Amino acid sequence: MANFNIDAKKDMTYDAIVIGSGISGGWAAKELCENGLKTLVLERGRLVEHVIDYPTMNNDPWDLDLRGAATAEEMADRQIVARSGFIGENNMHFYAKDDENPYKEEKPFLWMRANQMGGRSLLWGKQCYRWSDLDFEANAKDGHGVDWPIRYKDIAPWYTHVEKFAGISGEAIGLPQLPDSHFLPPMELNCVEKDVKARIEKEFPGRNMIIGRVAHLTEPLNGRGQCQSRNRCDRGCPYGAYFSSNAVTLPAANATGNLTIRPFSLAESIIYDEEKGKAVGVRVIDSETKESIDYFAKIIFCNASTIASTQILLNSTSNRFENGLGNDSGELGHNLMDHTYRVGAMGKFDGHEDKYYKGRRPNGIYIPRYRNIDAESTTDKFVRGYGYQGGAGRANWGAGANQEAFGAEFKDALTKPGDWEFFITGFAECLPYHENKVTLDKEKLDKWGRPTLVIDAEFKENELAINRQIQIDAVEMLEKAGLKDIVGFDNEHGMGYGIHEMGTARMGKDPKTSVLNATNQVHAAKNVFVTDGACMTSSSCVNPSLTYMALTARAANHAVSELKKKNL
Amino acid sequence: MQRREALKQTALFGISTALFPSLLQSCKEQSRLNWQPQFLSVKHAELISSLVDTLLPKTETPGALEMKVDMFIDLVYGKLNGEAGQKEMDKGMDKFDEKCEAEFGDRFADLSQENKVAFLKMEEASSPKFNGSIWGTAAGKQEPVGFYRSLKSTALWGYFSSEEIGLNVLTYDPVPGPYQGCIPLSEVGNTYSL
Repeated sequence: MANFNIDAKKDMTYDAIVIGSGISGGWAAKELCENGLKTLVLERGRLVEHVIDYPTMNNDPWDLDLRGAATAEEMADRQIVARSGFIGENNMHFYAKDDENPYKEEKPFLWMRANQMGGRSLLWGKQCYRWSDLDFEANAKDGHGVDWPIRYKDIAPWYTHVEKFAGISGEAIGLPQLPDSHFLPPMELNCVEKDVKARIEKEFPGRNMIIGRVAHLTEPLNGRGQCQSRNRCDRGCPYGAYFSSNAVTLPAANATGNLTIRPFSLAESIIYDEEKGKAVGVRVIDSETKESIDYFAKIIFCNASTIASTQILLNSTSNRFENGLGNDSGELGHNLMDHTYRVGAMGKFDGHEDKYYKGRRPNGIYIPRYRNIDAESTTDKFVRGYGYQGGAGRANWGAGANQEAFGAEFKDALTKPGDWEFFITGFAECLPYHENKVTLDKEKLDKWGRPTLVIDAEFKENELAINRQIQIDAVEMLEKAGLKDIVGFDNEHGMGYGIHEMGTARMGKDPKTSVLNATNQVHAAKNVFVTDGACMTSSSCVNPSLTYMALTARAANHAVSELKKKNL
Repeated sequence: MQRREALKQTALFGISTALFPSLLQSCKEQSRLNWQPQFLSVKHAELISSLVDTLLPKTETPGALEMKVDMFIDLVYGKLNGEAGQKEMDKGMDKFDEKCEAEFGDRFADLSQENKVAFLKMEEASSPKFNGSIWGTAAGKQEPVGFYRSLKSTALWGYFSSEEIGLNVLTYDPVPGPYQGCIPLSEVGNTYSL
């Protein structure tokens, strides 16, 4: 196996430093290493080597005393991330303990952290959708936020570039608002999903229901195996079937011989040299020994995740940047976004009782945005739009809890599959509001002496108006699709639950109103690149990770080209 | 890992001491319990054992007691529940037995089979239900379902996630291969265990 070079003592100086090894950091490492740059990846947590460090990947429920649930004692220091409902005994070692990075919630904000090599690429939902010019032009058209400095044509080839290597499965249908990717074969819809799709598309012209586009291999790619439908992704995949830094980008970076990865390396700040007028390195705190170490490089990629990257920039102060590196505009830390989530409808489906499926497909259906995409679909209730994820499946023994029955017949009947159920849940675009922000609390330090963060953000009227429409439409679509016992729901909990946090160091054309330029460089410190979610200027309504990958690959190749021209 | 080992040892200890119930319970009320609870009181453990046996009795397939569902619930009580959860469940169990005494003159564990069934029918009719859930979260505002329905749900979990049921009663398919969306149920038979 990979056996990464972790000997960062040998050299204190590299061509490039990448802070963070998650989805975007892994891509930065791969592109920079493959272009011949000696690259140091700083990871704040431990190493997680593909397969070797997936101790729970084959556990069956009965292999654990609590059948996969985590004990109250284990959850005690993970009370924040536990709110997501995703955490159990089999995956909790991939979620950060809250005390490792405490923050203050002025308003409820769930900040999901995964502090180890690979970061949240081990845990993400894998849904991958290209953004379109509907997204990149949105701010300019309705005046919220600032204009993106790029358009779809600038990023389209980079989408293709990352898709070919990551492996995205899906179906091409040619929608302008949701451009097709370079696809592996799509996963299959089940019988009920096929019926519901046909009915929705017939009853609602302009709406489509498609299989989710996902970073799961449906055929082998570059030595990685195809998805075996175990749906145990969040424990690490033994086949490398889903995209993670651990299985895909970091091994590729490592294969060049140019990668060094240093675990337990908390980035304290980016070091700015006033005379040279640029960043020269990164100050690291060894999270085990608390030792402070400086590493130096020509270029620095900041990929610590949206909020953590901004935390580092805010903490990187100098005479030139008193309020944080690159914060001439005063926008650093502002315009925090997420997607609204957990609003939708569910119901039961009559028919196909003699049908079933094989496998636990780690994917569902997707209903692309259909509101505010052209004159005909425009509403005056809100700007921007929303899409849905969802799926159908048959109930299992769990349904027995609600049945007014018990005893012998009840027990034996529960061994058979129950009703077909179908649900959809919306994801809505969130506008960039200046007042949704993160700031440093220099009075309250974490256990390594770094200022902690205060997060002060909330959804506002536009997002709530979209949520209302999401539920209305969801119920209506399920009704028209012939479902029964339909329940609409609105479980919106505040920001962070979408785990799509974006913004706080936005890209823009004007240094006076943005932090980064069109190639993700800090306007006033061009050898610092921020290519994770922090760079986002708006939030679209589609999942953002694929766009982080494409922006990162694009920025890394721009960095290499600028280095060659001696511009950095 | 260490904690899990410790837990296994404790469980072992529980089994070995269960061979000498008279020694342990010499100064307690006589118990028909054939296992030593780690966390529940003996009285509460007796309620749990009799409840899961009534909910999921032995048929051609094993019953809840054979699958040690009562012992699993003891673990859930002690390890999964925090202190507040334990207190709430204690209260729930006491109230359940009080109601039972009021209706049938005795605590649940000591009722005749007929009366156990009659009482659970009343509980079924009066207990609130779970909302549907999406990705691990209840849809809409979940009202408390009360002790009975919550216990029933945990009993189903313990029973159907046990090794014997998972491997030999339900359909065990650990590595399904590429997803097939529409196949005859007759090719599979019972629900998948995973």
